[in-house]
Amino acid sequence: MDSKLIKEQEIKRNINNAFRSAEVTVVRRRRISVRFRAGILPAFISYLKEYMGFVHLVMISCVDWLEDNQFELVYHLWSYEEHIHAMIKIRLDRDNAQIKSLSSLWPHAETYEREIHEMFGVDFEGHPGLTDLILEDWSDLPPMRRDFDTRAFVAETFEWRKGREDAQDVRQTISARYGETIPEFKKDK
Amino acid sequence: MNDDLDRQNNNIIANWARKHSLWVLAYGTGCGAIEVPPTMTSRYDAERFGITGMATPRQADVLLITGYLAIKTLKRVIRTYEQMQAPKYVIGFGSCTINGGMYWDSYNTIKRLDDYIPVDIFINGCMPRPEGVIDGFIKLQERIARGQAKGWQHYQENLDWYRANQKKVIKNWTMPDYNW
Repeated sequence: MDSKLIKEQEIKRNINNAFRSAEVTVVRRRRISVRFRAGILPAFISYLKEYMGFVHLVMISCVDWLEDNQFELVYHLWSYEEHIHAMIKIRLDRDNAQIKSLSSLWPHAETYEREIHEMFGVDFEGHPGLTDLILEDWSDLPPMRRDFDTRAFVAETFEWRKGREDAQDVRQTISARYGETIPEFKKDK
Repeated sequence: MNDDLDRQNNNIIANWARKHSLWVLAYGTGCGAIEVPPTMTSRYDAERFGITGMATPRQADVLLITGYLAIKTLKRVIRTYEQMQAPKYVIGFGSCTINGGMYWDSYNTIKRLDDYIPVDIFINGCMPRPEGVIDGFIKLQERIARGQAKGWQHYQENLDWYRANQKKVIKNWTMPDYNW
């Protein structure tokens, strides 16, 4: 097993030589995971991009750890030379979620950051335009936060059609509104 | 005014002509838009009933709401619907337009389409197959021939009720107020 992970172990050594505080784990073949602190993230990512060959930002995702009162940002990077997928995991304080934007390194990071900003409320410093991406005129809590109560929001905003909650035939209410009879179907023999 | 609308609606010859030439606005809102191309093309060939596509709302007769409708899309749908020339018909397509369907607890899709725009025919199913779609169109044609497909008239007469519902979910109302 270990003989197959030579590339990964070498990358782990190199990262630890440059940034001692990075906690690198080799997850499996072609996949490493790095825990890092949020403060000097752009320096760390640009080191990986310039010197370690992780030139492709695959995506940025966000996890809401409500119990720890933290957000976890995961930056997925890919190296074409080594064929290794690196996941850079950053924990942020949930009440004051702020991090530097990566839009100077990869222009397409802007889109992911806009989405995370609107769905979780993370603030990206230095982003050229943190405007709405998918939602429009949203004034409530960011909807992907775990403390956003979707069902209460739906019950408050929308009106249910009768029959939905107790699994009754909704055709009854539709036919009552439009004043028409429900067609009867022949039962199966 | 209402007598005038009724007279338009009950004109037998006009209704006969309308029912045989339904121009459907090519505007898909949800996953149901994928059922429309097979309905229109050679296998099911909806054109044999006089149903065919149209690219602009000002020349279309039928608005197909194909599936779930996000609040953001609802704004565009209302704008589109109000641009269409009367008589105009709306088909609610799939269970999402009836009661929310599988998006029943989603924060940004509407649950009842007929609260926001008047619906003449609902086609249930998730999704309805092209046979179901064509069946719904034929039901619509029957209603047009009988002068019962008067959702557009209902919309004009109850505009305040519809507007109140629409403004309840669309927070930033930037649309023109038409005077009918």
